[in-house]
Amino acid sequence: MRAIKYALILFALASPLAAQTPVPYSQVVKSDSEPANWLTYGGNYYGQRFSGLKQLTPQNVAGLKMAWAYQPNRPAGNVETSPIVVDGIMYVTEPPSTVTALDAHTGNKLWTWSPILKNVVAIGLFQTNRGVAVLDHRVYIATIDAHLVALDATTGAVIWNTVVADNKMGYAITGPPLAIDGKVLIGTGGSEAAVRGFLDCYDAMTGKRLWRIWTVPLQGEPGSETWGGSVPAGGTTWNAGAYDPKLNLVYWGTGNPAPDWNGDARPGDNLYTCALLAIDPDAGKMKWYFQFSPHETHDWDASEPPILFDDTIKGKPRKLLGFANRNAFYYVLDRETGDFVAGMPYAKQTWAKGLDATGHPIVLPNSGPSPEGNLVFPSITGAINWTSNSYSPLTKLFYVDAREMGSYFVKGTSTKWEMGKFPMGAGGERALSGDDAYGAIRALDGTTGKMKWEFRLHAPSWVGTLATAGGLVFSGSDEGNFFALDAVTGKPLWDMNLGASIRSNPVTYAVDGKQYVFVTAGTTYFVFGLP
Amino acid sequence: MKAIRPLCVAALAFFVVASAAKAQIPRDPTPVVAKTSPEDVANGKKLYEATCSKCHGLDGGGSDGPSLQGAPERLGDAEVGAIIRGGIPGTGMTAFGSLNVEETGQVVGYLRTLGHTADAEIAKGDIGKGKSVYGTSGCTGCHIISGEGGGAGPELTRVGAMRGPSYLRAALLTPGANLPQEAGAMERGRFTQFLFVRVVTKDGHTVDGTRVSEDSFTIVIKDAAGRFHTFKKLEVQKVEKIPGKSVMPSFKDTLSASQLDDLVAYLASLKGAQ
Repeated sequence: MRAIKYALILFALASPLAAQTPVPYSQVVKSDSEPANWLTYGGNYYGQRFSGLKQLTPQNVAGLKMAWAYQPNRPAGNVETSPIVVDGIMYVTEPPSTVTALDAHTGNKLWTWSPILKNVVAIGLFQTNRGVAVLDHRVYIATIDAHLVALDATTGAVIWNTVVADNKMGYAITGPPLAIDGKVLIGTGGSEAAVRGFLDCYDAMTGKRLWRIWTVPLQGEPGSETWGGSVPAGGTTWNAGAYDPKLNLVYWGTGNPAPDWNGDARPGDNLYTCALLAIDPDAGKMKWYFQFSPHETHDWDASEPPILFDDTIKGKPRKLLGFANRNAFYYVLDRETGDFVAGMPYAKQTWAKGLDATGHPIVLPNSGPSPEGNLVFPSITGAINWTSNSYSPLTKLFYVDAREMGSYFVKGTSTKWEMGKFPMGAGGERALSGDDAYGAIRALDGTTGKMKWEFRLHAPSWVGTLATAGGLVFSGSDEGNFFALDAVTGKPLWDMNLGASIRSNPVTYAVDGKQYVFVTAGTTYFVFGLP
Repeated sequence: MKAIRPLCVAALAFFVVASAAKAQIPRDPTPVVAKTSPEDVANGKKLYEATCSKCHGLDGGGSDGPSLQGAPERLGDAEVGAIIRGGIPGTGMTAFGSLNVEETGQVVGYLRTLGHTADAEIAKGDIGKGKSVYGTSGCTGCHIISGEGGGAGPELTRVGAMRGPSYLRAALLTPGANLPQEAGAMERGRFTQFLFVRVVTKDGHTVDGTRVSEDSFTIVIKDAAGRFHTFKKLEVQKVEKIPGKSVMPSFKDTLSASQLDDLVAYLASLKGAQ
């Protein structure tokens, strides 16, 4: 083993790839100026998943061919990774919590690191991982057993390994960390295990915890009056956040209150669950919050990665935040103040009459779970789930992978829960999937949510979208089609069936001046480029 | 201290890499047997709802995960038990080590109660006569039993293990009215099998058949002669899906009541003899 490791290091030293440039914060802030790299989970701190690369265009994308493929040795779960690419090196994750560095030009493996995992508790979530963060010479991975680990970007050696939370209680991490100036932020999953949600911030150099913000109050604390006397639980932070360096605000969504499908014991809005939190990362304080789904009982986490963008509304330049929520509404918020700007459904929903002037839902009667099962759109898995949307500052369109599926929501018989265990008799769904469901890539006007075009998919998908300056939108289908659409019209321009469900967010990058597109299907990692 | 620390970190890294490569989840080889007493099934239901229903649906009909209705009948109790306890690598089906062999047996026992269209009705016809009716009514042209017959329709070698007399009778009288649904992972599940599809090409040709497979860009149908046709959806005039319609004719007017009883009895007797 030692010999192999040395061989890998020697290989890395002998290769030009070893001249790994550290990625200082000042470089990540300006990531849009170097589109050959993909430096954060969402492509930039705004989470836009927009690339300035223009080599692939509507005119030539039909010529895309596979450049290379990579298959992990023993993938133990769904592959949902979204890579980071720095100067020709790609950092991917493999389920459940492995990090692998690949030569982004050929797919050759440079190093790999896996944690030792024993008796992992994963309740209500898949044992997977969605990606890493990079800062300076370190790669950050959060593991399924709720550790945050800093690895040396050149070797994969552990620099520090910090326990974020006790996995035995149900805390588990599948989402990517967010690395900003000297800090690494990470959330956790576990709402189905009735854990108390929080967002953590660690010193990027040492792994020392700088602050923790709890997303639900303790009994007696402000906000606990919205829980009807019950013990607040849930509100986990299991997906990606975004960051505005100028406002110095981090934006992070929270998940469902616990228990899930029976809210009888927790009357009230259940703050701060199913909400977006704006946090000052220096002070570790919440500046504002916006709750999308008060007193949630459908498992519609507000965990979707937010997208920050700037545009003009009624002649006034605005700093905005777009959010396609699992509850089927698209929201536009003022990201300085948290004020509601606009909102409308982007997929079929039968639970609300609409949104009021403050963005609060006007909930319809009998739209919650019932003992017999109540048909409501969207389904438990939502009009979108963990996948990332994209936003093009060129078209000013927000590209969402909408899931058109309803469910018979069954109300649980029990309102009791025990931390670390799935609540018995909690309820659930009978999904109207198959021919009763479908998916669509939809282009929404960023400032209003009004649909400009759609491209229908056979089934609801679990694939994010990628927008490029070349005028393309890439996404995939549950049946395995990877495809490119015209960003302005939605017209399909290229497709290929990769032979297994796609469950990842595509990204694009360039090596030696050539643009590539990455996506996974099944447990294979694919990269495409022009011949 | 500064000089020592990186060495310690490097040593730890070797340990981590070396150990992870060996790490394996031991699988208890004890075969799982379905526990079917009312108490066992009741507990199996509770365990199922707590552990499995989030992905497989409360009725076992599939949700994020595939339909489990009929899984023990298709795969056997021991295999289903092994999947529950050992997981399926490369999928969302992780190992549920939290369930012991007995509890797993209770879950399998509960799974055996889910989604059966086989019912308490006992076929009243004559199996031997039914076999003759099957042979003389054109069934063999489209269905395979134990390796013999045509492949346009579903194989019937084990149809009696999953389908009871009422369902079989209804399928003969109104084919297409209650078609089975695919057991597939995630959103791939619950698609109607043998769905009637009519494709109109751009030059006006019409091709009828049952859907074999479909993705967001293509559809494959099988016509009544068993031939496959693949179409790019964007390159045809129309893809019309007609639920309730079937390429199989109704036997309502072609078989007598007793012939129908006999045929149903024969089909219900087909439980997988190879």
